[in-house]
Formats: sequence, C-alpha cells, structure tokens
Amino acid sequence: MFFKQTASVKLNDPVLQNALKRAKGKFVDGRALGVAQIDNWEDIRTYAAEMRDRVIANLDAYLIEFEKNATRRGAVVHWAETAEEANAIIAGIALKNNVKAVTKSKSMVSEEVALNDALEAVGVTVLETDLGEYILQLAKEPPSHIVAPAVHKTKEDVAELFVAAHHKPRLTDIAAMTREAREELRGRFLAADMGISGANFIIAETGTTLTVTNEGNADLVTTIPRIHCVITGVEKVIPTLEDFATLIRLLPRSAIGQSIANYLTLTTGVKAPDETDGPEQMHIVLVDAGRTKLVGSDMKEMLRCIRCGACMNHCPVYQNVGGHAYGWVYPGPMGSVLTPTYVGIENAGDLPNAATFCGECQVVCPVKIPLPDLMRKWRERQFDRHLRPIGERLAIGAWSFVVARPALYAFATRIGVRIAAWIGGRSGQIHWLPGIDGWTKGRDMPAPQGSTFRDLYARRRKAA
Amino acid sequence: MKVGLFVTCLVDMVRPNIGFATLKLLEDAGCEVVVPAAQTCCGQPGYNSGARAISQQLARKVLAEFKDCDFVVAPSGSCSGQVKVHYVEDLFHDAPDLGEFKKLAAKWFELSDFLINVLKVDNLPGEYAGTVTYHDSCSGLRELGIKSQPRALLAKTGCELAEMNDAEKCCGFGGTFSIKLGEISTRMAENKCVNIAASGAGAIVGGDLGCLLNIEGRLRRNGDDRTKVYHFAEVAAGMVGAGGETGGKMVGK
Amino acid sequence: MSARDNILARIRTNSGRSGTTGESELALARSVIAARTRGPQPSLARHDPVTHFIEECGRLKTTVADVADLSSVPREVARYLAEGSLPKAVVGWHEFAALDWAAAGLAFADRPAQGDDLVGVTGCYCAIGETGTLLLLGAAATPKATALLPETHICVVRKSRMAATMEDAFQWMRSEIGEPPRATFFVSGPSRTADIEQTIVIGAHGPYRVHVILIP
Repeated sequence: MFFKQTASVKLNDPVLQNALKRAKGKFVDGRALGVAQIDNWEDIRTYAAEMRDRVIANLDAYLIEFEKNATRRGAVVHWAETAEEANAIIAGIALKNNVKAVTKSKSMVSEEVALNDALEAVGVTVLETDLGEYILQLAKEPPSHIVAPAVHKTKEDVAELFVAAHHKPRLTDIAAMTREAREELRGRFLAADMGISGANFIIAETGTTLTVTNEGNADLVTTIPRIHCVITGVEKVIPTLEDFATLIRLLPRSAIGQSIANYLTLTTGVKAPDETDGPEQMHIVLVDAGRTKLVGSDMKEMLRCIRCGACMNHCPVYQNVGGHAYGWVYPGPMGSVLTPTYVGIENAGDLPNAATFCGECQVVCPVKIPLPDLMRKWRERQFDRHLRPIGERLAIGAWSFVVARPALYAFATRIGVRIAAWIGGRSGQIHWLPGIDGWTKGRDMPAPQGSTFRDLYARRRKAA
Repeated sequence: MKVGLFVTCLVDMVRPNIGFATLKLLEDAGCEVVVPAAQTCCGQPGYNSGARAISQQLARKVLAEFKDCDFVVAPSGSCSGQVKVHYVEDLFHDAPDLGEFKKLAAKWFELSDFLINVLKVDNLPGEYAGTVTYHDSCSGLRELGIKSQPRALLAKTGCELAEMNDAEKCCGFGGTFSIKLGEISTRMAENKCVNIAASGAGAIVGGDLGCLLNIEGRLRRNGDDRTKVYHFAEVAAGMVGAGGETGGKMVGK
Repeated sequence: MSARDNILARIRTNSGRSGTTGESELALARSVIAARTRGPQPSLARHDPVTHFIEECGRLKTTVADVADLSSVPREVARYLAEGSLPKAVVGWHEFAALDWAAAGLAFADRPAQGDDLVGVTGCYCAIGETGTLLLLGAAATPKATALLPETHICVVRKSRMAATMEDAFQWMRSEIGEPPRATFFVSGPSRTADIEQTIVIGAHGPYRVHVILIP
C-alpha cells in the first residue's frame, strides 16, 4: 500500500514535518484573511459552482466556440485524447520549428503527461522557470503540492541545489537565493525558442488562454519566444471575461490568501505585424486524458476544480503527510478523486481511503466540490468490484450480517462488551486487541463499561 | 410529545452512561422518551466503507423503528448527520420513499441542538466547577452546524470554557480510518492532545463518542490519567464529577 | 475520426446526447456568452475606486505618488529614482517621449525594453480600484516588455481611467476597442514568490518595484 508506507516515512521525517507546519500556518491563516475581505464570499462560491456546472453540462459547445475564436485570432488549436498524443503534438511542433530550448511555466497537466521527458527525448532542453519547479527540476523530484510545488524543501536544500547548479558561493538568505535564480534564468528566458505554459482558464468568448502567477516567469515564457504552446485540460473553459473576473476573486484567496495574483496574463492569438513582443505562432493543446470520463457521471462536480490547492492545504491528513505520499501529480482530496479517474481505481486504491471525511475540504473549496462524497463514491466502486483487502471485506461482511439482526446483535454485543471490559481490567484501558493494532499501536482503547445500554435500560424498566 | 432515543452503537456498547445522561436530560425537560429495543446502527460505518446496500437496509430499519415518534434524538453528530444529510441527499435521493426519509430527517435532532433550539431548556441538572475545552466533531459541525449549542449547555453548568487551538480540526477518528491508517490517525489524535494540554483545561468535552474514545486512548497511552474526557450529555446531566470520566461508575446497573 | 471528433463525441455521449454538436447547443452557449452576466459583486467594489486603489497598492507594495499633471511626471520619476538610488536612464512608451525628461536630468529611450534595461516607464489602458491593478494592453506603441523586463516599473495612471472593478475594465475595453488584444496584462504590484519555505520575497522574475504616478 504505497500511501500507507510512504505516509509512515513522511510522518517520521522531522524536516518535512517542520515544512508542513510552516506551510499550514501560511496557507490556512492566509486564506482566512483573504476570505474575510469579501463580504459575500458564499454567494460568489455558489455562483461560481453553478457557472462551472453549466459549462460542463454543455462542454462540447463551449469548446467549439473557444476553438472558433482562438483560431480566428491566429492560434492553432490541437486536441489530444491521451498523454502520448499531447506529447507527440508538442514535440512535433518543436521539431518542425527547429526548437532547441524551451522555457516553461508551471503546468500540472504537463506533469500529468510527463511532457518534459518527452521533449528531452527528442533533444529539446526544457527549463522550468517557476522558482519552485526550477528547484525541483534541479533536485529531480516531483512536486508535492499543486500551487507550492517545493513546499517540502528547506532553504538549506535549495542552497545546496543552487551551489551544484550555479557554481556560485553558498547562500543562506532566501531573498538572495531568489535574486540568484532570477539572474541565472534571465539569460535563458531571453534565448528560448519556444515557451510552454499551462492555462488556468480558457475563455470561449474571446479564444483567450490565461495564466495566474506571481513571479513574472509565465510572462517571460509567453512573451519572448517566437512560439508559444499552451497545454491545458478540456475542462478549463469558461464562457466570458466576466466569469474570469468572478473566478479570480476566488482563486488567489483560496490558494494563498492573496486578494489578487501579481500577473493575470490573458493571451489571445499571435503578435500583430507591428508588435515587437509576442510569439509568431500560438498553439493550444486541449488535453482529455480521462477528463471526459467525468462528464455526465456521478462525479462530474470534480470538473469544476480551479486548481487552487485549498483542499490539500486544509486537509488534516495532507497536513501531516505532505504531497508525495499521494503518489502522483495531484495530492490531497482533489488528488484522491482525480488520480483514480486518470490512472484507474485499481492503481490508486489507497487514495479515496486516505480521508476521515472531516469535510473541511468541501468547506474551503471555492467551487463547492463535494469532495468527501466523491471519495465515498470511489469507495463504493471499490466495494462493488471487491478491490479492498480480504480482511476488510470479511469484516464488513460479518458486521453487515450481525448489525441487521437485532437478536443476534444483542447477543454478540452483550458477550463482546463483557469480554472487552474484562480485558480492560482496572485501568479501564485495553492495550492490545487482535485486528485493531492499527489503533492500539499508538493509543489505548478505552474499555467498554461491560453491559450494553439496551440491556441496562431493559433491566431498569423491569425493575421499575 | 414522544421522543425516540437513538442511543448509537458506540454509546450502547461502550459508554451506556452517555445514553442514561441523554435520557435524564430529555426526561427532566419534560419529554416522554421511548427507546426502541431493536435499534442497532445508523449504517454509517458501512456507508463510509462503500457498502451501499447494507447502509440502505439499516436506514430502512431505523425509519421503521422510529416511525411513531414525534422526535428522534441522538447524542451524536455523526449518526445525526448520516440520517439528516446522507439518507436524504444520497442514499434515498432517487427512492420512491424519499418523502419518508425527509420526514425522519426533519424530526431527527442531535441532542444539544434539541435541548437548546427545540426544547429551549433553561436549567440543567448538571453543575460542573472547573475548566473544560470543547472538541467540535466534524460531522456535527460541518453537516449540521453544531457549534454553539453544546457550548450553551456547558455554560449552564457553570464550568469555564477554555477554547483550544484548532478546536474544529479533525481528531483523526474517522471510523475505520482510525484502524486502517492508524499511524496517521494517531498523529492527528496527538495533535489534538497537544492542543488540549495547551488550553489548560482539566477536561475535554465533545459530542461524539468515537472522537472521545480516540482522544482518551491517546491521552492514556501518553500517560495522562488526569485529563478527563466527557460527552457533554454527562456534564449537563450532572453525571460526572471528581474522579469521573467517560465510564466511571456505571449507572443503572 | 480525429482526436477532436473522439473527444467531442465522448463528451456528448457522456452528457446523454447523440450525434454531433448541433445549432441549438451552440446557440445556448452563445447566448450565455452574449449575456456577459456579472457574478455577485463584493462590497469592496463599491468603495471609491481611487481611494481603494491606493489602499490596495499599499498592501501590494506598489508605491504611489499623486502629481498635478502629465508634465510633472519626469520630475516625479527623477525624484523616485534618486530616492531609491536607481539609474537615471529610463526606457519608456512613445506617449511619454515628448515630455521634458532632460529638464529632470533623465535619459529617456523611446523603444521597447530589452533584457538589460533597468527602469521602464509605461502608461496603462486603465487601472482597477478593487485590487490595485494596472491593465496594460499590448500593442506596437505599448509593449508589455517595458513593464516586465526592467527591475523597476513606473506606471502613469490617469485617475479618469480608474475602473472600479475588473468587470468595468472589460466593459470599457469592449466598448472602446472591441476584442482584447493579444496581450492583456493585469499587473498588481512588484513580482513576488514564496516558493522557498513559504517566505514571501518581493522581486522574482518580474520587476522588483512598481511605482504608480497618479495624474488627473
């Protein structure tokens, strides 16, 4: 069980635990302050959820409209059913245009499809420019969070990586490290042949793709090179510029508590003949890779997701184990729903079970995705397909048999609680019981009183 | 006014005192309380394990057992959430008898909500001199909005309430999660215990026995035998005091 | 069947519809788009836009100066650069070329910024009060590079071009120029990152500082 084993390692990693604690304070407190600025937060959430639902219910029409407008403005729209197709399209564009160096701003879809590997395989160098992604590229590690990818790294880790990569004296100050990264990357931004970005949203009304960033790297990636390639999921389409204005009130606040992100970059088409900035070619790759499976399904609400990361920031399980335990691109509650969708529940069976259903994710989701309900649906599918371990299935089977039969239940519980009370002894605590050492390894089990309420109540009534 | 007591499987098996405390609170407030004898479980453990069929079967059993009651009261946010939210919005959402489940949900109340908002009790039997801190169980809080009601009950007992950090944060119980992912669950319980200690309270009070057993189990394993662990019903009914904790002296033996 | 056909077909099948996307569905999407409905507006949107803009700039670490008119701009730029011990050579948008930079002791280059320019002076299409945001529309005479590449970005903002909200800004844009140009760039403060230990650092790949000069 990948999740359980990895989680165990992470729980016992003091450096990671420190990083998670720090991140939790910033993200959770930050979001609360951001939300407090908006007096009608709940109204905006409700509106945004409905807007996303309406698009998903008519998704083909909005995508066609987007494609029409983007094409009219000079972009080329490509469609990719699978990760392989997406990579082939983009590698093809690179090869056709003699691209040697690519700069890239953060894109979770590109992580999904492993785009960097596909480009390196055809001789194209890819430079991640988002600071967190750059750090991870140097470390050869995957991101552990969708908004703050290097949240698990300490500044000492970063200092080491920079020394090895930049061959400059070791730094201790975070601002100095950031400055060094800027200086190292600036020349490479200016020399890139192609820039690849994701798209936080795409707008049907205008054929626009857009990024929401703070560093300025997405703008350097998409303004300077002669070719701009956008890779994004088909569910990212929204109807109008006004809808973007609504969503942007929700996104940065939910993610990190900012009232606005530093750079909202709406890109529509290619550069005009008299412009000095901008790409000559604009390619937009719309990726399916499992998304359309959710359309019309009992998990369609997941398609509303705007990738803010609030769910994982507030998830008490994520807060304790971090993102790598989730095994793939998307961690936390949203990952527990999406990863089984994209890679199959039989390959990601741990994830929907990595939750207590506390519900905090649903409370903070800016588009009201009922994440616990969706994780529960995955558990139902596992149950129906007998995918859970045999011990669990037998336990549920036995419980189901007894709990539906009051007389048998009364009999079994009467005996069970008496035995358990006896085991608890004078301390009233049970230190170990077969089958529940998941509990008793770290906790005592308070012993039952020794008789059931029903028996005591019946006795009391008889005596009365 | 006939009030059915849904005692909950955990209370029934592990801490009947909480059931008697609930009974006392309701009867003292003037309710005629009935306890359907064949009740077992609301179905939540099966529901959260993905076993829909048994969940629906148990739900129909609950519906039938409490049919004649004007109200149903349970000393648990999670069982009440199962009935009021999940029966209606999921399990029977497309069923022909959805109307019956809506009626059940409408007459079903978590205990503190019933006492404060329906019965509007003034006085409580219990008096408690001391400082307590309150743990907001997830289902009660987020599915049913149970937040001020238990605190209002505690205020009436005279105790002092010292709010802990992250009172609303999950304690790590989560039903079978506490066993299946025990290490993470234990860490979450430990985090809760740290917050309890930092609050300075001598007792932690809550509204769901699953949470309370989880927290108590971690406290005791940590060697903390002093911090009391109570269901608010026990405090409000005056069934705890010096030396008492969940369990203590058995009532009604 | 192309990937496009397959994806659209799968969407339709899963939505319970058959065939290919028909006129009625496209018409529905178009009518929603044409309606341009605004979402719920927070009360922030009703604050005085200029006042609120200045408050938000404070939060974003954008410095703000208020001067009498356009001709005062070079003097204010010189003051700001001297105060920060910043270089006296600026590159800027054509609309400011005719101002008296020499009198302010500054060199003004009327061309788009390049990689090693340190100070860029731009205007903006409009500003947005709700969020302290500058909206720059890229065009030959208003290149985005001048706001993005230099370490210092100075932006002249006309108070008469202060929109209350982003929706208002979009409405202006539609009525005045129709569709968005290729580069529609919203800038809110100097660049920043918190990717190392969640510690906020002002100044990442974009400018280290943004200075707004308000004119009537």
